[in-house]
Amino acid sequence: AVRRVRAAPERISEKVEESIKKAEETCSDDPASGECAAAWDEVEELSAAASHARDRKKETSDPLENYCQDNPETKECRTYDN
Amino acid sequence: MASCTVVYTTTTQSLNKNCSFSSKSHLGFHHQKHLVFYKRSSSKRGSPCVITCGAAAGDQTLVIGLAADSGCGKSTFMRRLTSVFGGRAEPPKGGNPDSNTLISDTTTVICLDDYHSLDRTGRKEKGVTALDPRANDFDLMYEQVKAIKDGIAVQKPIYNHVTGLLDPPELIKPPKILVIEGLHPMFDSRVRELLDFSIYLDISNEVKFAWKIQRDMAERGHSLESIKASIEARKPDFDAFIDPQKQYADAVIEVLPTQLIADDNEGKVLRVRLIQKEGVKHFSPVYLFDEGSTISWVPCGRKLTCSYPGIKFSYGPETYYGHEVSVVEMDGQFDRLDELIYIESHLSNLSSKFYGEVTQQMLKHSDFPGSNNGTGLFQTIIGLKIRDLYEQIVASRVEAPVGAAKA
Repeated sequence: AVRRVRAAPERISEKVEESIKKAEETCSDDPASGECAAAWDEVEELSAAASHARDRKKETSDPLENYCQDNPETKECRTYDN
Repeated sequence: MASCTVVYTTTTQSLNKNCSFSSKSHLGFHHQKHLVFYKRSSSKRGSPCVITCGAAAGDQTLVIGLAADSGCGKSTFMRRLTSVFGGRAEPPKGGNPDSNTLISDTTTVICLDDYHSLDRTGRKEKGVTALDPRANDFDLMYEQVKAIKDGIAVQKPIYNHVTGLLDPPELIKPPKILVIEGLHPMFDSRVRELLDFSIYLDISNEVKFAWKIQRDMAERGHSLESIKASIEARKPDFDAFIDPQKQYADAVIEVLPTQLIADDNEGKVLRVRLIQKEGVKHFSPVYLFDEGSTISWVPCGRKLTCSYPGIKFSYGPETYYGHEVSVVEMDGQFDRLDELIYIESHLSNLSSKFYGEVTQQMLKHSDFPGSNNGTGLFQTIIGLKIRDLYEQIVASRVEAPVGAAKA
């Protein structure tokens, strides 16, 4: 079975960049149109997703924590409550 | 309609003859999904059978609505709230990796973006934003939230924020507490009726701009202009559809620029107001020193060290959209989190279980954004208030069936 993983922050970053370019193009014709608002709304949605992805990456940035999640029985990871 | 499952706990003995259970009899249990029906001991022949709803009492899910714009700290609030109930909130295991749902032992948080009726391409074609009610399926939202509240699991769609597509649905089981967070939890009157408590995070334009700069400036392609353009383009829909929801909220956390520093645009020092509706069942507002008075308090001095620009608290009754409210306000920030205990000791009605609980909760998450100002403080207090509300409602439900059984 293929394990599905969350999209990497780098990939979302590219999408943010693209969406900003597209929004600027769309709005150059008619800045008050619904299409323009929808385009900037997409930018906001992707920027929020990128920021959440960055936060998640930060959460799991400790190399020892990451190692211990997969190898809790090793010497450096064992913890006993008493 | 009461739909009950009859469970016989005694398997070896037949049910006491005196325990007749007619399907027509109306017992008055509206909320229980399981009726445990058992006989205490075989020696007491003819004793009336006991109907307990002890395990089932409180089964009905408490529903909480949290409204805020994107990038306004909903996720930080959610993490503080789930922490009050203990345990970590995590995405559902083994499901869609882009699921927006967070599950902990007591709480399930669902993101209302999952009820988009139009995906990203659909919105672009029609020229509507996600803020527009036309992009959202309120019928499905109402049906599914109602079903969960009644204890029925649902297959909820997933809106994928990365691809902008609606993914196959995921199973949501009824939790003890369901939090629906997003742009429109109080928009539809039917959904609003289902909420046991509602919160609105009201971030002023100046602060929103400052926060989005912090969030996006490092992102490739973003510039001051693009951030400004994005806020401006969404503003008409925000003002028309999102902002009016705050009149229905039981608590509003308002975040404004500080008044302690003249012309501050950094958005680092904040003036945060906790607006609490009066007369809400099971919710008694927090107050400072004396309930109902108007008070201004500067705690800095011999007992609390504050550096520039200091801390200022205010409290008093006000009117908000025609409702009587109590407002607690904090302007400024803490230098040392442990000194928060001094402030906590002057606030009343915090619904904490022990002295210092607010400070302890804040210290536990000192790395979260807002931990040194009023946003973190008031979010933590609302978390305790929701726990209190939950406990009161569970307690009142346990009492109610007993009264019904006697009658």
